Amino acid sequence: MNFANSLAVGIREIWSHKFRSFLTMLGVILGVASLLSTFALTDGMAKASREYMTQMGGVERVNVIAQEVPQEQLLLADTSRGRTVEDAELIQRAAKHVSLVTPWYTQFVPLVRKSERLRAYIYGVWPDYVPINRHTVEFGRNITQTDLDEGRAVCVIGTRVIEQLWPEKPNAKPLGETLTINGKPFKIIGIFQLYENEDNRIARLKGKKPVLTTRKGKSYNPYTTKNTAVIIPLTTFYYEYRAANIVGVVDQGPIPKLDGLTIQATDPEHVQDAIDEVSSLLTQTHRGVDDFTFDTRQELAESIEKTAHNTRLTGGLIAGISLIVGGIGITNIMLASITERIREIGVRRAVGAKSGHIFTQILVESTVVGIIGGVLGLVAALGMTHLIKFTTDGASLPVIQTASVALSFGFAVLIGVLSGIYPAWTASRIAPIEALRYG
Amino acid sequence: MALIELREVTKRYRVGEQEIRALDGIDLTIEQGEYAAIIGPSGSGKSTLMHLLGCLDTPTTGKVVIDGVDVSSATDGRLAEMRNEKIGFVFQSFNLLGKFNVLENVELPMIYTGVSKKERRDRAIAAVERVGLMDRAKNTPLQLSGGQMQRVAIARALVNDPKIVFADEPTGNLDSTTGASILQLFRELSEQGRTIVLVTHDSEIADNAPRRIEIRDGKIVNRAAGFQSGIHTPPPPTA
Repeated sequence: MNFANSLAVGIREIWSHKFRSFLTMLGVILGVASLLSTFALTDGMAKASREYMTQMGGVERVNVIAQEVPQEQLLLADTSRGRTVEDAELIQRAAKHVSLVTPWYTQFVPLVRKSERLRAYIYGVWPDYVPINRHTVEFGRNITQTDLDEGRAVCVIGTRVIEQLWPEKPNAKPLGETLTINGKPFKIIGIFQLYENEDNRIARLKGKKPVLTTRKGKSYNPYTTKNTAVIIPLTTFYYEYRAANIVGVVDQGPIPKLDGLTIQATDPEHVQDAIDEVSSLLTQTHRGVDDFTFDTRQELAESIEKTAHNTRLTGGLIAGISLIVGGIGITNIMLASITERIREIGVRRAVGAKSGHIFTQILVESTVVGIIGGVLGLVAALGMTHLIKFTTDGASLPVIQTASVALSFGFAVLIGVLSGIYPAWTASRIAPIEALRYG
Repeated sequence: MALIELREVTKRYRVGEQEIRALDGIDLTIEQGEYAAIIGPSGSGKSTLMHLLGCLDTPTTGKVVIDGVDVSSATDGRLAEMRNEKIGFVFQSFNLLGKFNVLENVELPMIYTGVSKKERRDRAIAAVERVGLMDRAKNTPLQLSGGQMQRVAIARALVNDPKIVFADEPTGNLDSTTGASILQLFRELSEQGRTIVLVTHDSEIADNAPRRIEIRDGKIVNRAAGFQSGIHTPPPPTA
């Protein structure tokens, strides 16, 4: 007997008991659906996290952050001036594994244009701030050294700032116009590109409503923050906000302490070398006071992969168990169906079927159940992930990977084969005369 | 050489503590082209004998040779091949597959022979035509009468052109008129030279066959009158 014939008989058998076959498959369907959905969800979350990380500057970006001076150095703490522009200049000159560096200040201030107001963080930065933070100036230009040297009142702004302050024409490109930042006029010299994830870009290009909708107070969205960026030259910022520190009526003098210092290593492999160099430089300028440390994306990157892996494994395990339960269901029904069809088996044996033929027939049947269950499960998973797209805020949409589909489907087929082995063996052991005696 | 040869064949079953001798020292020879009836009351061992002759079972002791092949200790696979190529069965309860139509039922033995799809269909059509059921070829067994079902079963038994056809109470589930037409069909097959072994408990039905093999308590009590085992030659068929 050829394989095609077994297949035809198997399909006919399944078709002749549609409802029962469906119930038999249900375990496999649900198993495959939950397996693939888990994979899709995990992959979606991992993808969103990776995207977020890249938007935030990738693994090469290292923040030099302030930390509490340790107990034994408390008496020395005042000898260090903390992170200063001089630190940044030193790093720029001396650290060979650092390609870009920017010191920065930041302040939450009101932005005004005509009657429109928006409160946002503005950053006083060096030009390197833009490439380090993966910003792209789409219109106009970036801040330059001349802007810094002359302390010009210029700014580069993100698209969301325009959206908010030019509500009558959200697509305006107000280059050269004036924006009032904390009461002082600033000339807009550059506009950042619109940052969005892939799905939104595709939706927007097709002229559809963006999938990603940011509601106020809803989950933190990296794109919103990035699109609300306002940068001005570091020197301008210093003159405006840090040159004097009036407490009561007494000026305490300028504040040289930076709010932040960010570097970018030459490449991902030399992140640690860059950290070591910067560390030894800053230990000198900080006179040995251990008041700084490093915040890298390396750990974040690792934790993203680890979380994704663990979720995949846990979800996969649970879904796998439900698939196995589905397989047991198949075994059970196949055994019952053999008792029911024992006479058919007898007839087939009488006209010349060998026990191997019977074995193949039952095994093919259970495999077909696994295959059909697998296909239906994939369809169900597709439906489920579409459903999830409606309920999530869009930042971590499920991603269906070919490998996940292949794995889920392969597992279903394997379950189909395995669950048929015992019934097939049982059926093939029945002696022809025993089988014929029934009924 | 005889088509079927049995030498000192016994078949014993264990039922709990008790041992049942279903067949007890059977010697039997059936020649090519014979039409024989195995007759005996229920429990006499006639079905067991047919199972041995039909390669559905193997004897406990003794020797069974079918068409020159010793099947006494053949493997399951070899027995299946014998049934497939050399033997056709007709059962009392027809034993057709309910989910398959007439032609598909008739094609069944050829599937296991490995005949191509096209040839299967052609030979099945020829066999169904032979039993006069071509107009019901696409019907399923449930849509047929008892006599028609038995004709389909006969077509199935003949489709692989077997040496021997075994019929186990073929008229048992049929009314007398239909039964008679089925027996007529067997006579025609016999006249065409086919070896036929009929198993029945009904003496009247056994009379259709020229040779009578009577079995009682696992022993052959009376072979066709006047003939001795092994030297029997078939008498001319009686119409």
